[in-house]
Amino acid sequence: MSVAIERREPRVAPARSEQWAPALAGALALVLVAVAAKLVLDAAEGHRPLVPTSPDIASWLRGVGQRLEYRDLLILLLVFTGAYAGLLALARALSKRAALVLIGALHAIIFAGPILLSTDVFSYIAYARMGVEHGLNPYVHGPIAIYHDPVYRYVGQDWKHVATAYGPLYTLLSYPLAPLGLRGALWGMKLEALLASAATLWLVWRCARARQLDPVIAIVAVGANPLYVIYGLGGAHNDLIMLAAMMAAVSLTLGGRDAAAAASVVAGALVKVTVAALLPFMLLARRARHARAQLLGAAVALGLGAVMAVAAFGAHGLDLIAALNRDAAFVSSDSFPTEIAHLFGKPGVFPVDHDLLKAALVVIVAHLLWRTWRGFDWIAAAGWTLLAIAVTSTWLLAWYILWPLPLAAVTRDRRLLVATLAVQAMFIVHQTAPLLAPVS
Amino acid sequence: MSSAAGPTGRGLPGGAPGWLRRPAARLAAGGRLGLLEASVLVLAGLLLATATVNDLVRQTHVNHRLTADLRTWRAYTRHDYRNLNINQDVRGQSTRDVVCGNTAPGAPKARVQLCLQMMGPVRSGRRSVSGGWYLPPRVENVRRYRYACFGPAAAEHRCPP
Repeated sequence: MSVAIERREPRVAPARSEQWAPALAGALALVLVAVAAKLVLDAAEGHRPLVPTSPDIASWLRGVGQRLEYRDLLILLLVFTGAYAGLLALARALSKRAALVLIGALHAIIFAGPILLSTDVFSYIAYARMGVEHGLNPYVHGPIAIYHDPVYRYVGQDWKHVATAYGPLYTLLSYPLAPLGLRGALWGMKLEALLASAATLWLVWRCARARQLDPVIAIVAVGANPLYVIYGLGGAHNDLIMLAAMMAAVSLTLGGRDAAAAASVVAGALVKVTVAALLPFMLLARRARHARAQLLGAAVALGLGAVMAVAAFGAHGLDLIAALNRDAAFVSSDSFPTEIAHLFGKPGVFPVDHDLLKAALVVIVAHLLWRTWRGFDWIAAAGWTLLAIAVTSTWLLAWYILWPLPLAAVTRDRRLLVATLAVQAMFIVHQTAPLLAPVS
Repeated sequence: MSSAAGPTGRGLPGGAPGWLRRPAARLAAGGRLGLLEASVLVLAGLLLATATVNDLVRQTHVNHRLTADLRTWRAYTRHDYRNLNINQDVRGQSTRDVVCGNTAPGAPKARVQLCLQMMGPVRSGRRSVSGGWYLPPRVENVRRYRYACFGPAAAEHRCPP
């Protein structure tokens, strides 16, 4: 009798979990969709600075939601994050179709709404209009040079005097949107972000399958991620284009097309230079017996990019290191170095701290390169590097913590995914001070 | 035998999810280097988590102070305006805040603005006003625009001569 019970128990437990897990996962997916819809409808009512002042592209959504208050945003963000965490734990119970419907719905909802939580997209448009409409070099002048242009009033206060730090390929990609007018350009930027996200997720799926990981878990980890959906997609950030190029490089490498993979990394770096961090890991990877092909692919892409940049923008188009150094000197209150400085009783980050952080990053990258040389998964090593860059940066924005996420979703080193999500969770927790002590 | 030597024999329950068991297995394979990496990761995680919570608590205290600043400005001017502008000491080395608001009803910064300098601890939900100055409409609180400094702010040369 007891033997019979022992035999029966293992069967009953999975059967029960099989019953409730898909239902619970479905409920959590519905929560994500409902929260995204509420966020967009409330944001359509407008409220600076959560919804930056913008040309009116979401007026057709007005009259349903309530004006988005900071407190509401934080509550929605926390609920979204909680539902995402639960869904990720239950992602095995989600079918491929359910995952795709969920991610498609989230993307469609965010695409339909106004720009969320960032004015960066107006800087992108301003740089494009500087080049196309005003004949000015965006690598030399800041948007202040076109203060009479309609986009100028929407550019973030901190960026009005700052020349572009984005790569020449991205700047040229944005040029065709400039003549479309402000609303047209804004929809164009949103569409670019949407397509880049779709490409990233498709590539994440392919890479996960190629590495014999569950592709449903991988795309849910990325495509339903709160920072990815609300900040990345909601703000139409060009980081999504960089991520698409990055994942194209990973996919091409897994397919044995090393030259094209290296060229894809270079193309990504010509959008946003951070992704160049992948290249040394690709070259060092033990499986990259075709390092010569990679070097050739990178050199050809870099040469073409350099010619294109110089032709379009002069020598300034290549001076991305100076732009990076400039941005690296900025300090944001959400950065971990600032938080650590406060923990040790310092008022903030000092120049010497910048040097210490750079030294720490060099040590981490050197260790990861050595590990890759010894056979460690180069994709994981590159992901750890991107995470280390975000954590040691004194200028940390939500979409910077997205950089390692697609790599974390397609590597067997699950510590990377856990660490990336933990860092994201800490970032979100740090945002919640106004919820605990509202200023009114 | 193999299961006893595997990850479950190293303290993880047999029912632990796969993603937890795999790193443990790798750790065993990686030996001391894996252990060192895991230790550094845990320590770094603890540092970041502690710093995050500490900063969250610090920020709630700052928010408490800013609420007292706004309340003080409204009590001092007897204007119950909502759109007030607060400037904090950007270096965070003092708790001196400056709150600016319109002197008459209108859009934010649309009228002559009165800026009050707040100092000291929060007492009964208010802070001490340590003088202030005026600003013309539609300008930021920058020294060159300030005029008619009064109280300790005048003695501290907060306005241009």
